[in-house]
Amino acid sequence: MRVPIAWLREFVDLPDDPQAVADRLAMLGFPVAEIERRPAITGVVCGRIRTLEKHPNADRLQVAGVDVGGERPLTIATAATNVAVGQTIAVATIGARLPALTIEPRKMRGIASEGMMCSAEELALPADWFEDGILQLDADLPVGRDIVGHFGLAEAVLDVEVTSNRADAMSMLGIARELAGALGSALRTPLAANPGSAADRPQALSVTLASPDCRRFVAQRFDGVRVTTAPAWMRIRLALAGQRPIDSLVDVSNYVMLEVGQPLHFYDADRIDLAHLEVRDARDGERLITLDGIDRTLTPRALVIADPHGARCIAGVMGGSDSEVGPTTASILLEAANFNGARVRRTATDLGLRSEASSRHEKALAPALTDLGAARAAALLVAQGATAQAPVAFGAAVEPPRPIALALHDVARILGIALAPARIAGHLEAVGCAVTLGEDRLAATPPPWRTDLHDAADLIEEVGRMEGYDAIAPVLPSVPAHAISSAEFRLENDLAYGLRALGYREIITHSLHGTRLFDATMRAGLVPSHTAVEVRNPLSEDQRFLRHALGPGVIEYLARLPQPLRVFEIGHVFALDEGTIDESNVLLFGFSAKPLDEPDWRDSHFLRLKGDAQELIRSLCGVRTEASADARNGLHPGKCAVLLHEGHEVATLGMVDPRLAKAFDAALPIYLANVYLDALPEYRLPRYVAPSRYPSTYRDLALVVALDVTAGAIEAAIARSLGERCTGVRVFDEYRGAQVGEGVKSIAVRVTLQRFDATITDDEADAAVAHVLAELRERFGAVIRE
Amino acid sequence: MNDLDRQLTELQERFGAAVAAAPSAQALDDARVAFLGRNGEVTSVRRSIGTLPPEARPAAGKRINLAVEAMERMLGDAQVRLEARAFETELAQVVDVTYPGIEPPVGTIHPVRRITEQASAYFARHGFAVVVGPEVEPDYYTFDALNIPSDHPAREGFDSFWLTDSLLLRPHTSPMQIRTMQQHRPPVAIIAPGKCYRRDAVDARHLFQFHQIEGLLVAEGVHFGHLKGMLSGLCRELFGPEQQVRFRPSFFPFTEPSAEVDTTCPRCHGHLQRCGMCGGSGWIELGGAGMVHPNVLREVEYDPDVYSGWAFGVGVERLGLTRYGVDDIRRFINSDPDFLEQLR
Ligand SMILES: [Zn+2]
Repeated sequence: MRVPIAWLREFVDLPDDPQAVADRLAMLGFPVAEIERRPAITGVVCGRIRTLEKHPNADRLQVAGVDVGGERPLTIATAATNVAVGQTIAVATIGARLPALTIEPRKMRGIASEGMMCSAEELALPADWFEDGILQLDADLPVGRDIVGHFGLAEAVLDVEVTSNRADAMSMLGIARELAGALGSALRTPLAANPGSAADRPQALSVTLASPDCRRFVAQRFDGVRVTTAPAWMRIRLALAGQRPIDSLVDVSNYVMLEVGQPLHFYDADRIDLAHLEVRDARDGERLITLDGIDRTLTPRALVIADPHGARCIAGVMGGSDSEVGPTTASILLEAANFNGARVRRTATDLGLRSEASSRHEKALAPALTDLGAARAAALLVAQGATAQAPVAFGAAVEPPRPIALALHDVARILGIALAPARIAGHLEAVGCAVTLGEDRLAATPPPWRTDLHDAADLIEEVGRMEGYDAIAPVLPSVPAHAISSAEFRLENDLAYGLRALGYREIITHSLHGTRLFDATMRAGLVPSHTAVEVRNPLSEDQRFLRHALGPGVIEYLARLPQPLRVFEIGHVFALDEGTIDESNVLLFGFSAKPLDEPDWRDSHFLRLKGDAQELIRSLCGVRTEASADARNGLHPGKCAVLLHEGHEVATLGMVDPRLAKAFDAALPIYLANVYLDALPEYRLPRYVAPSRYPSTYRDLALVVALDVTAGAIEAAIARSLGERCTGVRVFDEYRGAQVGEGVKSIAVRVTLQRFDATITDDEADAAVAHVLAELRERFGAVIRE
Repeated sequence: MNDLDRQLTELQERFGAAVAAAPSAQALDDARVAFLGRNGEVTSVRRSIGTLPPEARPAAGKRINLAVEAMERMLGDAQVRLEARAFETELAQVVDVTYPGIEPPVGTIHPVRRITEQASAYFARHGFAVVVGPEVEPDYYTFDALNIPSDHPAREGFDSFWLTDSLLLRPHTSPMQIRTMQQHRPPVAIIAPGKCYRRDAVDARHLFQFHQIEGLLVAEGVHFGHLKGMLSGLCRELFGPEQQVRFRPSFFPFTEPSAEVDTTCPRCHGHLQRCGMCGGSGWIELGGAGMVHPNVLREVEYDPDVYSGWAFGVGVERLGLTRYGVDDIRRFINSDPDFLEQLR
């Protein structure tokens, strides 16, 4: 909200420095986003044009005699065409400083000009919001009056943020009231007396409130209305507050809204049925052409003001063009109403019609504000020459606010500062409460405008705000013992640091995506294996789906980069399972890598990935996992494995299906491992086994076996056969080719033998190995390679 | 001088020459074997004692032993000399220490986790647990239980991605307050880091997917001063010991009193008119905080007359902008290798 400090000064005395005002507001809970400093303007005074003649030497110039209160009128030459004798205008006298120039004596075609008549733009007002040419001031302004001070043209404008609970502060008066309370200064409230109050109650004016969503409706008729240009002081104020001046009626309604916070609506009284007005739900399909010229079809969600001919206005949102006030309007009906904020908000959102008015109605405006709004508008309209009839209020009488009880010790219990009871009461009085102070508690009756004060917590906040949060000393709490576990977070973090140690870089990708990833899967000829969770209201197409796996995002990330990279991501994935959304936490790590010059039955990248996965799980869970060949959508069918712990799958890993990689335009092969965090076993405490005191021996065996005999099967068979004498068995090489022949391969395995009770002899070792070989021959047809 | 003497003298001289000339440990050993070995020349001489008359043999033996001792001394001296020369050679080697080191595979932790971790460590030191929870939440946990009924204008501030009539992607981590308090009786002391989502247009200061850290302390006797104490400490932890913290009144439906928390701009400390980080105000917005609203405590069946508490929420990427001087918040989610490399 744009708040000209000059406007605030009408209601409260303030420090000169706008920064001081802004700081004060910020510490009251109204942060100032920007202090707009206005250009310094001096030497501009009010003048009245006494004489006007054609310039003797120039067709397009006129020479005016302008009275600025001096001994004689000033002679001013001007090229403006909208000047006339009797006009009141702003005169920049010799020496005046304007944003763009300094006024000096000069000759215009032989005539010494003693100043300049100013346009709006020359006074740093928006040029297209005011008349072309010379700005027309109000006739009652005394000549010689300093214009800059009078209109506050050089005073800063604050951009104040108001939180949604403080509907009362959405106005100049509201902000001024806050400052007055905090500074301990008097508030000069605008006159609340309605000039129409003394008039007769109008005949034939009736508003039926057929919906509980209209709590109060003040209606007032004005006659003798003339739609013209509003007075300069009003237009300048509106402009400084960021509101474009329109005409004398619209400006009054905007002015009152900005000044006291009550939005108003004016109807052309001759174009509605004043005797049969009604506030009701819109009928389904009911139509209304709104002020913006759009023909709208309404639903019963909207609240309307209607007469027997139909809807005339969408309550709190926008009026209808049929009853719009215009140049021919002679009589108007003013509406100052209080609506249910949620209802207004819903309707405004439905219709895409958010406005200054609706954004105020949406909040909890005080019902009593309707009367003040009507009174202020009446005063301004009467000043413009209109005749006011008596205002008529429909709806329940405004209920006086109820007192709120506050136990005094709760102030210290919540805020952490001990304040004297009188000080607490003083703070509440500063925000307008009527306080009755008791022994250990008080009762505070909020002022009618503070619709946000309901209970003790609200009062404590007001006390804290007025005392100032700075007064509360920071202290460290001593946190009592509790039994809440951090295990899940710990695990995630340990995984991350474990992967860092293995040389992987953590990345974050988007959880939301469009069909791009899905399309890539389809392009690769793969069938998506899940139902994606869809977002109902994405901002853009690439936010339509929740990711079901981290893989596609990581592949896309790796594919974007030309160089080999090792990365990981930990994040949630989502799947639709029979109508419910399954959410789980997963870890994905892997890399893109340059292809190696290896035979097609070996892939060291795969082995590196597997080694990293097993090491990671080992270091975090203390358990070993076994790999088993498997097939997974998106992974190469011959280079895919699951890692099992006690038969439970804890990870999937492999090379990304090259067709999928291509669909993502990946230049390099990609290898990924998916670890299911929810499936990882609890950390298992290792048991220490002291090493044997006797030396070990080893035998390297080169076994020729059929191609389908796996290294894992050979290792397992050897370990089982040797029993506890075997302290190590590990395949360390594989060979295929001419030297072993077609259809078979050679596997080299090192077997380590050791006894715990004596040194193992060579004979014993050889005998054990011979026994193993016999068994391998029997099970796998394995023979020793010559 | 008898034959034996002559023979031994000549042997010693030859051995001395061989040892002195030996260029390596191996050559030295060869000489030792040739002269002093099992079948060496000294052994031949020793065998010749048998030809002497018996009374001469002890003296001859003694003479031979003396010669062997002398030769072994020569050998020892030569070994020391050789070793010294070898060290001399090795120690004469010089490398260019400025030649680039061999790089190990380097892993990095995302700055979001770094900040989360550091904040968690700080709170853990003070007795807080770190909990995590789902990103898809029912509106009950997201709004209703947090004192934001439907049609409350405060819901405006949380423009959310909806999945069904009642499920949405959480726009803040505050649902974890409710989840934790429903599972545990007071005292409760947690922080809850995690991803959040809002329908915000993305620009240099906004992401639609970001991380928050929620904090909650509820126990007997917890007050606003404790909130200031802990958050001031957090800022010093993240930005340095000189860090100041400012609390401004604000409004959140789930806390009262509520506050916006600012911390001094770590770049300019308020001394720069045109600071790119704070815009010249000298303050950086940290997040929202306040005393847990009695309605929220009632919702989880905590008695607000007995227990009080505070909660806060801070944006992790926002902290990151300030902490690392990052120019554009989108860099956190783009995760470019260069970004990760610089902030590792
Ligand atoms: Zn700064």
